[in-house]
Amino acid sequence: MDRMIMHIDINHCYAQIEEMKYPQLREIPMAVGGHEEKRHGIILAKNDPAKKYGILTGESLREAREKCPDLLIIPPAYDDYIYYTSLVKSIYREYSDHVESFGLDEAWIDYTASQHLFGDPVHIAEEIMHRVRKEIGLDVSAGLSWNKVFAKLGSDMKVKGSPAVITRENYREKVWPLDASDLLYVGPATTRKLRRRGIHTIGELAQYPRVYLKGAMGAAGEMIHAFANGEDTSPVAENNAWLPPKSIGNSMTMIHDVSSAEEVKPVCYVLSEAVASRMRSHGMEGDVVSVSMRSAGLNWFGCERKIAQPTSVSMEILHTAMELIRGNYDFSVPMRAVGISVSHLNPAGTYRQMNLFVNEEAREKARRSDLAMDEIRDMYGFDSVRRACTLLDRPLTDFNVKDDHTVHPVGYFQGRKMVL
Amino acid sequence: MELYKRYVDVILRQQRSGKIIPMYICWENGKQYKIDKVLRAERRASAVGGCGMRYTCMIEGKQRNLFLEKDKWFIESHQP
Repeated sequence: MDRMIMHIDINHCYAQIEEMKYPQLREIPMAVGGHEEKRHGIILAKNDPAKKYGILTGESLREAREKCPDLLIIPPAYDDYIYYTSLVKSIYREYSDHVESFGLDEAWIDYTASQHLFGDPVHIAEEIMHRVRKEIGLDVSAGLSWNKVFAKLGSDMKVKGSPAVITRENYREKVWPLDASDLLYVGPATTRKLRRRGIHTIGELAQYPRVYLKGAMGAAGEMIHAFANGEDTSPVAENNAWLPPKSIGNSMTMIHDVSSAEEVKPVCYVLSEAVASRMRSHGMEGDVVSVSMRSAGLNWFGCERKIAQPTSVSMEILHTAMELIRGNYDFSVPMRAVGISVSHLNPAGTYRQMNLFVNEEAREKARRSDLAMDEIRDMYGFDSVRRACTLLDRPLTDFNVKDDHTVHPVGYFQGRKMVL
Repeated sequence: MELYKRYVDVILRQQRSGKIIPMYICWENGKQYKIDKVLRAERRASAVGGCGMRYTCMIEGKQRNLFLEKDKWFIESHQP
């Protein structure tokens, strides 16, 4: 029997939650955006009146204000978004034990086995949409299909009041005419690659010989070809399924551009501490340190290095990160943003391989001072203890990445392997 | 009729089972209103903004909606 999978999406989630809290916002152009003065100022979500002015998610607050001078910009209230979206998901969980979140606003529900209990999936999808409206005051859109990728495309169609149903009979009419970039995992770079081959729609992608795509784009080409043909077999994770992270990282757009490695070092201190602290709270160690950098010209690029011993010590992460920055960024263009992450993670073991060429005593000391800082911060707050060098340029380092940046985009496979 | 969102103090009774029953609403001027009966309790969004557990109450012969929103109570008030 085919699977029956729903994908439900809370439409322009952050803006809609603000409207639910304050209904008068429905009448005026409004957007949720980052803090302008701290420069992570982009539009995160906008309401319908703001949409009429052509305001786009992801553009800077300045660009948005140029289009609509009266735009009301509200700073994000992540605690509320986490709270209300969890209420929405608790409704989904009444209908299935397989509900997998994809970010705060989206979720897949595997309804296959629940059909025997609750009946017709279209009727139940409508019931869920109606209940979310009545009980939480939010509008959701839904898609129904036999695989997760098409179910998501269905909810993107945003049919009012009922789910878009994509079946093995109608997917050629409903899905194939859509733009290839609508497909999961087809971002701007992949879209350009596909365009060069004359592939514009999902149908053209589906009918293109897989072997050529594999040759040109590797496993990713094979994967999106399978997606376009409805061959995605990835399961919907069980409720409360927790998959260990594959990497832990934080990044920061700095309050002003920096033009030397010395200037960016205090920021890297704060980022390394946050990353190391998060690794310890997951009980993980890793031995690949990656740095991503964005120049004032807004180009991102990254580099990584494997280190000799797995670590969760902030100083070791910092030193590797600084070496990578010094070796790969010449500061001829000022740097605007920087990110540090550690991957190749494994549970931190009780036994560790000693290294003849490093001072193990100093390592242990650094590890213990990290632990002590964690404890102090847990008890007295993040600002109660900090490195003296971060006081040199306080506005630059005045952020608590670990606690302020807890809403992350998530990957589709979450560590699972795609089976073709 | 236009409704207004007014946060209020509430005196409530919590049963051994964990169930919560609001007993009195306390207005800012110190006046207390007895809730004569709770007709229904269900999760609902409010017309005045917010959502939570809605207690449909009878107060001095009138029906009023009292909401438990996260950890605060508000009433859909007929007075601003």
